[in-house]
Amino acid sequence: MVWLDEELTRRQVIRAGAAGGLALGAGGALAGCFGGDDDSANNGAPAPQAQPGDFRPGGTLRIGATGGGAEDTVDGQKPTSDPDIMRTWQLFEPLAVRNAAFTKLEMVLAESLEAEKGKADTWTVRLKPDLEFHNGKTVTADDVIFSLQRILDPKDPKVGAASIGYVDAKGLKKMDARTVRIPLKFANSSFPEDLGQYFNNIVPTDFDPKNPVGTGAFKYKSLKPGEQSTFVRFPNYWRKGEPYVDELVIIDFTEPTAKVNALVGGQVEAINNVPFSQVSSLQGNGNLKVVISETGSWQPFTMRVDADPFKDNRVRQAMRLLVDRDQMVQQVLSGQGRIANDLYAPYDDCYAKDLPQRKQDLEQAKSLLKQAGQSDLRVELVTGDIFRGVVEAAQVFAEQAKGAGVEVKVRKVDTGTFYGDNYLSWPFAQDFWATRTYLTQVAQGSLPDSPFNETHWDDKEFQSLIRQARGELDEDKRCELLKEAQKLEYDKGGYIIPYFSNSVDAHSSKIGGIQEAKSGFTLGNYQLRSVGFLK
Amino acid sequence: MLTRLILRRLALGLLTLWLVSLLVFAATLALPGDAAQAILGREATPERLAALRDQLHLDEPVVTQYLKWLGGILTGDLGNSAATQQPVSELLSDRVGNSLFLVVVSAVVAVPLSIFVGVWTAMRRDRAPDHIVSTGSLILASLPEFVIGIALILLFATEVFHAFPAVSLLGPGEKAWDDPKVVVLPAATLVLAVVPYISRIMRGSMVEVLESEYVTMATLKGLPRRTVIWRHAVPNAIVPAIQVTALQLAYLAGGVVVVEFVFSYPGIGAALVEAVGNRDMPVVQTVTMLAAGIYVGLNILADVATILVTPKLRTAAR
Amino acid sequence: MTDQTVDSALDLALDQPVALVEAAPARGRFALVRDALRLGRTRVGLAIVALIVLIALVGPLVAPHSPTEFVGIPNSPPGGEAAFGTDALGRDVLSRFLHGGITVLWLSAAATLLGMVVGTVVGLVAAYSRNWLDDVLMRGNDVLLAFPQIIFVLLAVSALGPKLWLIVLTVGLTHAPRVARVIRGAALEVVERDFVKSAEVVGEERWRIVFAEVLPNVTSPLLVELGLRMTYSIGLVAGISFLGFGLQPPSADWGLMINENRLSITVQPWAVLLPVIAIGLLTIGTNLVTDGLSRALAGIDRKADS
Repeated sequence: MVWLDEELTRRQVIRAGAAGGLALGAGGALAGCFGGDDDSANNGAPAPQAQPGDFRPGGTLRIGATGGGAEDTVDGQKPTSDPDIMRTWQLFEPLAVRNAAFTKLEMVLAESLEAEKGKADTWTVRLKPDLEFHNGKTVTADDVIFSLQRILDPKDPKVGAASIGYVDAKGLKKMDARTVRIPLKFANSSFPEDLGQYFNNIVPTDFDPKNPVGTGAFKYKSLKPGEQSTFVRFPNYWRKGEPYVDELVIIDFTEPTAKVNALVGGQVEAINNVPFSQVSSLQGNGNLKVVISETGSWQPFTMRVDADPFKDNRVRQAMRLLVDRDQMVQQVLSGQGRIANDLYAPYDDCYAKDLPQRKQDLEQAKSLLKQAGQSDLRVELVTGDIFRGVVEAAQVFAEQAKGAGVEVKVRKVDTGTFYGDNYLSWPFAQDFWATRTYLTQVAQGSLPDSPFNETHWDDKEFQSLIRQARGELDEDKRCELLKEAQKLEYDKGGYIIPYFSNSVDAHSSKIGGIQEAKSGFTLGNYQLRSVGFLK
Repeated sequence: MLTRLILRRLALGLLTLWLVSLLVFAATLALPGDAAQAILGREATPERLAALRDQLHLDEPVVTQYLKWLGGILTGDLGNSAATQQPVSELLSDRVGNSLFLVVVSAVVAVPLSIFVGVWTAMRRDRAPDHIVSTGSLILASLPEFVIGIALILLFATEVFHAFPAVSLLGPGEKAWDDPKVVVLPAATLVLAVVPYISRIMRGSMVEVLESEYVTMATLKGLPRRTVIWRHAVPNAIVPAIQVTALQLAYLAGGVVVVEFVFSYPGIGAALVEAVGNRDMPVVQTVTMLAAGIYVGLNILADVATILVTPKLRTAAR
Repeated sequence: MTDQTVDSALDLALDQPVALVEAAPARGRFALVRDALRLGRTRVGLAIVALIVLIALVGPLVAPHSPTEFVGIPNSPPGGEAAFGTDALGRDVLSRFLHGGITVLWLSAAATLLGMVVGTVVGLVAAYSRNWLDDVLMRGNDVLLAFPQIIFVLLAVSALGPKLWLIVLTVGLTHAPRVARVIRGAALEVVERDFVKSAEVVGEERWRIVFAEVLPNVTSPLLVELGLRMTYSIGLVAGISFLGFGLQPPSADWGLMINENRLSITVQPWAVLLPVIAIGLLTIGTNLVTDGLSRALAGIDRKADS
């Protein structure tokens, strides 16, 4: 068993299952691993929040976001920009998804999601009963099959195709009205995590992206690309009592400053991704509340392990020793972040937190470079306006590298060029990634067949460890394998990961219910259904 | 003959525009490597590449590519934005309105103001007010638009007064005229940029007219000074100003680019800057052709107006 | 703003050459400069330009910090280590300012020079040939003139990317037709003069006539045009950087500084204010000089008339 739904079982049950070892078999262990243990759940619990009783029902909630544009969409399986993602979370729901605190995978439309026969290559999903789409249709196994096949459509693969491409789409089988059997092309214990992402949404079999119908807390009303989208309360939403507001408007702003001005001027009730330089001034405003969330989102420098001069691992190690991570957090993020250790997935239960924190060590770096015959190292770092702080981080890196006599020439290119012909083959560049669990992230960027393997990391030992871990349903054993894998990346990988950046939301003190979100998905996992106007 | 003169100017204008279109089209050819790949970058899925190749007619000979592109421009079929897949016409339609509003507001303020300043200083020729205005406009005319714009922001939006928004934020679906406050500072920037030129020529021309026998006669006849100035002198002095006004309005077609960027004003200028950053050639080309069209069009208009109101030219044409 | 602009503007619109100068070679090459220097505005202008050039040249030597070094937390106010505070990355605003002028200067100078050379050659050749070549060159001029300058530069940048040589090239190219019109206008009259005719009779080579006989007689309008084009070049080059298509980070450059720090203008205005003031002063300076030259030229005209 089990990816039991929290509502049915609560954490205690899962914990009991995990602690007990138990008759639940492999699934129970899984629940322990993915569900997170009690401690981390507690740590991740948000600060005291407005309670439903504090809200007065109704009202129009207006949210300001940036990053949208004319390509804005309401197709729940094709979100790209931040406003797209925000809309997706309101209209649609996946089978499961990591909670805002990122402590566990929470069942959403699924009641359970379990591996068959203790083997991780076939999974069974069982839907909650009586789920309803916005048009009144009940959610059935057919919709699940349709949705997965739509995501994996080889002619028009959706966002999620890269994450669950190993699902055998043709082999999907309806067991009964609420149950689907999902065969995989290879065993993968990380399947629930891969599947449980916001873009793998369930849509009805007659889905029409022009008039999107989902199961989310809000129904679609209108979309004006690059400007705004409007949604209304879905009265038959399965989480009783939610949402609180009658209408939701998501407004696209072209510039972060404009968004901040709109909040201060009362044109919107909440905004996300507040520019770091503005945080302190917003905190001083009595009419506003600022929500700062630590996240696992990371913006690495990417060294190609198969290209000169990074072919030589001593050079890669030296490069990693050049970084003064504290200064990086201070200068680039205005302090809104925390240092990292060249490893990603910090919230994974198997995160290798025992590896020593890497610190700037210019002498060691020099000596490594000397051994590698690269005493006068000069490299070009390709950067671009691809994510907040990335260009700035490049400049800080270049400055820090001078300390060891390494000349880093920052080459800023337009985003078109950055993602052009040379994307994924720049010898030394940057990228950005969201909060993920380890195996999910590995699938995205650290295997030869990963869609975004920008470092060309291709390590046989690593791959064998990942393969074993995917097939391993025992939590402890798997963690051991994953820690070994992380050690390899820590010692030999191509990433320089200086920090995890915070995400900052701000909202009017007239509303409540916006939680912190370690997931990196702002506004408490975009959970606007639990936001309301205070009495 | 007069008609012939005008027709000739029209024909020359069209010829110029055609040559301009060749140059603008050539920009796509200058893209390094595969144009579609260069434009799409990371978004280059096979379908999108195919669609863009199809849109740009990349698989056909260059001449065909050009003719189809030109045909599209002429029939208003501007293709899709490479960055956003949205039709360019749809993408730009609201923005064209906002930019026009900005330009019209600026012109409506700038032209009468310039004429007034020109006349006023001409009447105080070589006296203190004339010198002060002259030096002031020399300084203003020197400054790049973004310097003026940022100075206005510091003065009226952030540091000294908080009278107007520093950023021209428009609510969803709102047009600039729904919230005229946002247009104040951008328009003021453009006004300050063009008034010195128009008022200068107006002053010069007014000085000449004031010295003419015609005005002296009118004054001698005992007509009130006010009547002499506004009824007789100004209408004559205004002719040379028509040219400069048209030129300055045409200049606004370029000036809006920087000014809109300074204020994040949602017009085609800001769209152009964004499109350049994204290598969104269909948008860049459309805005460029639009600007050139306005430029050439206004010049033709100015020529025609000048030809019509200049007695000498009329006679010469005959 | 000068009478020159207005004249060339009219010229452009009417497509009718306006003779700008009654060139008087007997008065000597430097008469115009001498006359201009008698005017207060020329001197003030020169002083301002000298000041800014000095800042740009000497600045890097006297800057208290490296332009890329971090001296404090981002956007900190003036005081302590940083006399004008720190920029959006925590670097010293003053040091970046002192380092950031040189690029604006040399890029605009190079663009101006290119525009002047190309424009002068085209203008002279067109004026001297007065046949189909004249028509072709002038038509080419019209095409380039149909673009507002900045839009032409942006068109090129969108195709080839933000490169410094491209900015010099395109800014220079957009100046050329404007220069060519003025020079052609001035030269049209010179080519009718006796000494040109006699040179033709003697059988002097055409290029020699153009450059040895005609060119020296249009130096005065050329000088005024030079000042005017320099003013516009500075505005354009700094403007392109400001839009983010010029110098790229981590370069210290005035235009780029404004771009990088404009979002935090409310928190730290100095990082924007210093470069804005410098660019503004520089263009005012060059334009004052131009205006002085132009007034001196008008003075020559008056004398020639009388």
